[in-house]
Amino acid sequence: MIVAVRRSLRRALLVAGRDLTVERRQPDGLVAALTFTVTLIFVESLAVGPVEARRPVIAAALFWIALLFAAILGATRSLERELEDDALDGILLLAGGRDALFAGKTLALAATLGIVALAGGSLALVLFDLTVALPFHLVLGVALGVIALPPVVVLDTLLALRLRARALLVPILALPVLVPQLVAATQGTAAALSGDAAASLGWSGMLLAFAIAYTGIGLTIVPAAIE
Amino acid sequence: MTTTTTRPVLTLRLRPWLGSMTLAISAVALVMALVWAPPDAVQGEVARVMYVHVPSAWLAYLAFVVVFIASVAWLWTRAPWTDAVAVASAEIGVLFTGLTLVQGSIWAKPTWGVWWTWEPRLLTTAAMFVMYVGYLLARGLSTDFERRATRAAVLGVVFVVDVPIVHLSVLWLNSLHQLPTVLRAGGGPSLDDRMLATLLVSVVAGTLIYAWLLSERTALELARQARILRERL
Amino acid sequence: MEPSAALRGVTVVLDDRAILRGIDLDLGPGLTILRGANGSGKTTLLRAVAGLTPLSRGTRATSEPPLLVSHRTALLRALTARENLAFFTTYRGIAAAHVDQALARWGLAADADRPLERLSAGQRRRAALARLDAEDARIALLDEPFSELDAEGTQLVAEALARWTAERRIVLVATHGHSELDRAAARVLAVVDASVRQQ
Repeated sequence: MIVAVRRSLRRALLVAGRDLTVERRQPDGLVAALTFTVTLIFVESLAVGPVEARRPVIAAALFWIALLFAAILGATRSLERELEDDALDGILLLAGGRDALFAGKTLALAATLGIVALAGGSLALVLFDLTVALPFHLVLGVALGVIALPPVVVLDTLLALRLRARALLVPILALPVLVPQLVAATQGTAAALSGDAAASLGWSGMLLAFAIAYTGIGLTIVPAAIE
Repeated sequence: MTTTTTRPVLTLRLRPWLGSMTLAISAVALVMALVWAPPDAVQGEVARVMYVHVPSAWLAYLAFVVVFIASVAWLWTRAPWTDAVAVASAEIGVLFTGLTLVQGSIWAKPTWGVWWTWEPRLLTTAAMFVMYVGYLLARGLSTDFERRATRAAVLGVVFVVDVPIVHLSVLWLNSLHQLPTVLRAGGGPSLDDRMLATLLVSVVAGTLIYAWLLSERTALELARQARILRERL
Repeated sequence: MEPSAALRGVTVVLDDRAILRGIDLDLGPGLTILRGANGSGKTTLLRAVAGLTPLSRGTRATSEPPLLVSHRTALLRALTARENLAFFTTYRGIAAAHVDQALARWGLAADADRPLERLSAGQRRRAALARLDAEDARIALLDEPFSELDAEGTQLVAEALARWTAERRIVLVATHGHSELDRAAARVLAVVDASVRQQ
């Protein structure tokens, strides 16, 4: 049992490492996600105006909406690379390859999203001129949000991979599933900004629960989800 | 290592009595809801929306749980009839989720003063509606039988997580929406006896409507499957 | 233990059209040549044996996961040949030294550390074929292995086929040319009208 878990983890890390090597060499996915996030935060802040954007819950919502789309963008880019030259088939033929693909892509997306969150979050703090009441809670909440989004996004991207309309379908499938995560991440971040420690931790716990639940569901169902 | 076998289509005998029984009980439920049950002490006549609202919401849950069970059955057995049940139930579920949202709006206007508001139950129900519209869309975009069924089955499993989320979302935040009336932890239902009886008959009628629609729609899908499976061999 | 791969009563349907119907196939060690016109279903048969395509009917059994080298390389363009091959060997727990040997054997030693997208199509194909040596694949499925290769590359493939056959591997090659292979082959099959015939 423990041996099997360690082997699966090693394989997932191998796939994640391969993904991040590609991303380091050709950072178009990361650059696209970063540019998109920064642009979106900027545009959103202009749209709602300086007073509104300073309200913790608005600032948090703008940040998480941008991050959610960045996640979809990142997952789509990463899997489109696998379709060039059918690199995906190489992984699917390996023993346990489908699980490793899902887990590895999820880990890699979380890592990429972490970088995007750091950059986008710093920008939002400066741009909206926010004061952070509970920095530790904020970091914890954002980190848990960053791991709660990828399992669903990667699963839906894998599922829609061979469809022509995948660019349309992935957001339609992923966004409604991610509504509770989006609410929890936004409320948790807002609570950390405004200094409500208990609420922030509560929402963080919910994000952790969602991350675990959808990772579990993903690992269970993913062998069937990939063609 | 891998075994996948498409079995011949299971023929589902339509039960002629199901339709008549559904009609009869629905008529009884209608009379009970509109005439027999007393008006609500606080909300007055408006509260009668409950007798369609609660069954609709219950059917939406039931339909999506059936989608989940049929999806697992497809992934397990690859028997075509399981996919027919899944699509039939998903369509009915989308219909009743849509109806639930509309009835909820109609009920909300006189009682809360708005058609729509930021409220967890509404939010998650709307998300569930969009989710299963996406499910039907993903089916429509798939090009062949097995892939469509498998892709849909995966979604059927992933999306069912939303059913408990919708139900518990009322507890999740302090909210406007009434707490679960019948099924709730600690203590029995919180309703007048006649109202409760009416509600239960409405739910039974609704469930029969569901069963009837499901059997009709499944039969239709089985006929369609039979044609596809025959033509391609 | 000798490798084995078999299909039993396999029907494959793509876009609601039967590409293969009721296929029974037993592959043993040695070279099997698969012929058939364009669009006859050779590639689908290879993918069915590999387990990459869902079976509408029937079963598939292999003694180990096969390795398929198709028209496309199944490698990532942004990575080097060495990185691509090392990913697979590490995953399977095979010593890294195998990668160097395999790349040298396929004439890629000098270009092993350049990203694949900077290499020619023929070199990319050699990198894909080198996987079979690096991973010591006991079940090798090759779809048109000679395409895009120069004279030297073609010679390398011919040598490799002989070597793998001598090592008692299962080698299934789908191709419509290269009739000289028939002499070395244990069996020559053809996909005709969605079924497999002995030639």
